[in-house]
Formats: sequence, C-alpha cells, structure tokens
Amino acid sequence: MTSTFKIAEDLEESRPIVEAVKVTKVYTPDVVALQDVSFRINKGEVVFLTGMSGAGKTTLLKLIYCLEMPTKGLIEVNGRDLSKITSAGIQRLRQTIGVAYQDFRVLPKVTVFQNIAMAMEVLYKEPKEIKSRINELLDMLNLLEKRHTPAGKLSRGEQQRVAIARAAANKPQLLIADEPTGNLDKTISARVMELFKQLNESGTTVIIATHDETIFKDSKNMVLDLHHGQLSF
Amino acid sequence: MGQFGYIVKQAARNISHTWSTQLMTLLTVSLAVLIFSFFFLVYTNMLKAGARLDDDLRIIIYLENEIVPEMQKQMRKKIKDYGEVEKIVFISKQDAFERLSRQLGNDRDVLNDLGPSFLPPSIEVYPEKNLKTLTQIKEFSDFLATLPGASKVQYGHNWMERLGYFTKLLRIIVMLSGALLLLTTVFIVSYTIRLTVVARHEEIEILRLLGANNAYIQGPLFIEGFLQGFLGTSIGIFSLYLLYHWIKSRFSGPDILNIFEFSFFPPSITFLIICTGLILCSGGSLLSIRKYLRI
Ligand SMILES: Nc1ncnc2c1ncn2[C@@H]1O[C@H](COP(=O)(O)OP(=O)(O)O)[C@@H](O)[C@H]1O
Ligand SMILES: [Mg+2]
Repeated sequence: MTSTFKIAEDLEESRPIVEAVKVTKVYTPDVVALQDVSFRINKGEVVFLTGMSGAGKTTLLKLIYCLEMPTKGLIEVNGRDLSKITSAGIQRLRQTIGVAYQDFRVLPKVTVFQNIAMAMEVLYKEPKEIKSRINELLDMLNLLEKRHTPAGKLSRGEQQRVAIARAAANKPQLLIADEPTGNLDKTISARVMELFKQLNESGTTVIIATHDETIFKDSKNMVLDLHHGQLSF
Repeated sequence: MGQFGYIVKQAARNISHTWSTQLMTLLTVSLAVLIFSFFFLVYTNMLKAGARLDDDLRIIIYLENEIVPEMQKQMRKKIKDYGEVEKIVFISKQDAFERLSRQLGNDRDVLNDLGPSFLPPSIEVYPEKNLKTLTQIKEFSDFLATLPGASKVQYGHNWMERLGYFTKLLRIIVMLSGALLLLTTVFIVSYTIRLTVVARHEEIEILRLLGANNAYIQGPLFIEGFLQGFLGTSIGIFSLYLLYHWIKSRFSGPDILNIFEFSFFPPSITFLIICTGLILCSGGSLLSIRKYLRI
C-alpha cells in the first residue's frame, strides 16, 4: 500500500507537538518498558511507531495522553511539560487528542452511535453537528447499518472501527491509533488509512502504532522503531 | 444545547438506567420527610396549645366563707409575699352567681330557685408568666391550700401535667425522627449515587480519557441528589398536607380539635423543610462524589 502522506519537510511550520527527551518508563517492580527514548514529532506529521509486541509502543502512547507518567526524562505535548500538568490540564490536553485504543474501550451496552457521540458531547458539540459527523464517519468505515447496534454485539473488527471513529470524531489536533488495523481486512484497512490521510490533510498530526509492515513500508513518513523499549533509527 | 443542557441530559440518562433504585430512594426520602414533619407538626401544635393554656393559667382557691374587705388586704399580702403574681381577683358568692348566669345565657332560668348562696366564694390567682414549670405551679398551689379558710385549690393540673408529659415525649420523637431523616436522606442518597457511580464506572473512565471536565462527570450526579431531595421532600410534605386535610375533615366538629386549633405549617416552615431536605440530599450526593470520584 502506497502512502501519500505529506512529509515533515514539506511543512513550513514545524513546531513540535510531541517532544520526548531521555524518557524511561519502569513498571513496578522492574519491567523496563521504555529506556532513554528521545524523539520529536512536529505538527502535521504522520508517524509510524513500530516494533514487536511488548516493545513498548502502547506505553509510549500512554505517556503522551497522560495515562502513565514517565519514571525518568521529559515529555512535552503542545509545549506543555507533562510532569507539571494539573488534572484540569490533563482534561484540556485530552480534549485535543483523539485516541483509538488497542483494547478499543467501547461501552458494550451502548450503541455504536452513542459510543462515538460521547467524545463530541464531552466538548459540548451541537446534536446536529454530532449526528452529521458520526454518519459521515460510519459511512466511511462501512458501519452505517450498525449505528443503532450495541457495541458489544459487534465483531472485534467492527469494534475497532468504532474506536477509530470515536478518536477521529472531533478532528483532533493529535490522533493516536494503537494497532488500528490489527483486526481489519485489507479493504477496510485501506479505508481507515484514507480517513487518517483526510484528517492529516486538515491539520491533524497522526501517530500510528503498528507491527503491520504493509501499512508503512513504502511511505516516506517518519518511522520510530522500538526494540525492547529503545529506539533504533 | 449548552453545557447545562448536556449535564441535565446525562442526569436523566443515569436516572433512567437505575430507575428502580431511584424510585426506592425517592420513596424512602419522602417517607422520612413525612414521618418527621408529621411529628414536628403535632409538636408545634402542642406547643401552641400549651402556650394558650399558660396564658389563661389561673389557680382557683375555693373558700368556706366570704372574706371581708380587710381580710382581703391581708390575703393579698400573704399571697404576694410567697410569689410574684400578676393579679388576684376575689369572687364573692354574688359574683360567682352572676358569672354562672351569664355563662348559661338563655338557660339562666334554672338558677331562679337557687339564689347565690349555693356557690362557694373563691380567690382567683393569676401567677406571673415566669412561673412556668409544673412543679413551681404545684408548689404554689400547695401553699395556697394552707391559707386560712381555703377549702380546695384547683388549677387543672391533671390536664396540664398530661400535656406537659406528652409534649416532652413528642420532643423526643421529633428528635428521633429528625435523626432518622438525617440518616436516611444523607446515606440513602449517597448510597444511590454510589450505585450510579459503580454502574457508570466504565463510562466514567472513558469520559476521563475523552477529556470530560469535572462539571461534566460530577454535575449529573449532583443533580441526581438534588432532584431526589427536591422531589422526595416535596412529596413528603404534600402527603402530610393531604393527611392533615383528611384528618381535619374526618374529625372536625366543634369539640376536640377546635380546642387545639390544629393548623398546618406556615409557608415559611414548609419552605424551610423543603430546603433542609434539598441540602441533606445534595450533601449526600456530594459525599459520594468526593468519596468515589476523586479526580
Ligand atoms: N501496566 C503494566 N504493568 C506492568 N508491566 C506492563 C504494564 N503495561 C505494559 N507492561 C509491560 O511493558 C512492556 C511493554 O508493553 P507495551 O507497551 O504494551 O508493548 P507493545 O504495545 O509494544 O506491545 C511489556 O513487557 C509489558 O508486559
Ligand atoms: Mg500495544
């Protein structure tokens, strides 16, 4: 699959949206998930985060949206030092980030529509806007017929798309997708990548964690390759 | 739809999800308010009745013989030496007879054959208002019984004593039912809110990840407690009002209840009870929010 994402050098404005300096994460008691990781992601970029299972991809993403704190090192998102962030700051930060979690985190008893709407309601968007945006996303991801089905009744691949739609709903500044194509077949994967491309064209920075080589092997985008918690360029 | 609209919508959603528990809570709160305000209503009416009785509290000393004016002066001094007295009235046989015939009105004919001699003369002593407790009144009347020529002293003590005990008992019941009200509202409401928090646990976690602010997460829970307080207290008070009217219409008659002039709470007290219920229930939900929704 060939990617046509813009590459960082093309962008006039290259301020960092995520910057990590010597970040180490140790889970108690002694699991070293990340070690001395440093990188910089500029606004408007598309970045692939790769590595084998257990390499530390999910952990790195969690640090960015403040679900985990680094054991050592500095991490800044949008110029904000996350070690000094308040709980209100975390709320504001998360409002600008859309995350498609590896484990989806959809509410099983709630409809597909409502699962996605939650992300927009939190920002107090108008019901009309919510409806049209969700229909647009569901159409793109081939889920329109399932919009009133409880998410728990869906297959894993469908749940994954609900999680992706929710992450994309607010057209966030930063979109994080953790193994977004893990449960999807080729055609649907292509649609998901198309959605990410559209978002990126409208200004969203996209970080995709994946071990699926096919979605990034031919692209000119930045690739962060993790090996046992360390970056190798 | 503004921020407040969403919070209200969310609250409605929560309530509809756990509606059976919500209903039980509402009933419990209403019942607690009804029980408390019922006893409180009886108590306030009792106090009013007591105050009315106190107002025309007098001790009557029936005498064996009429007292001549010089003796009256002496008596007056003796009584005033013992305790503070608002007023002392000497009633001669003639006075008593006239009073009785006035009271009889059109039936006064029955007295025609009798004449004033069959009624005993008496002294009516109106003690100072500060002479409040029953023991003080009892002591005073015991003293009055020792006056020369006194045959019998009367102050309706049985009636007063019973009212006094009853009022004391009621005060305890009011306090107990107040404690019940406090416990049920605060704990039942906080327990119900806790259930909502547990039921929404997964959802709240996701809302946090989506960047929901505190108002968005806590607001609906607070509204839930507030609504329970408002509806529960209002239903409780309204039921009491219906009960009051029912009792009044069933047992109304010129006799019993009119002595007491049983009346409902004035609007200010009604308002105060509703506010108290509101504050207690909101407090209960705050308690739960603080305990189970630490941010
Ligand atoms: N909450 C946790 N507690 C302890 N160890 C964890 C936790 N989360 C992840 N790990 C460990 O950290 C390492 C990196 O995990 P993860 O970031 O999930 O990797 P990846 O997403 O690349 O598969 C793994 O060895 C994993 O077992
Ligand atoms: Mg992972």
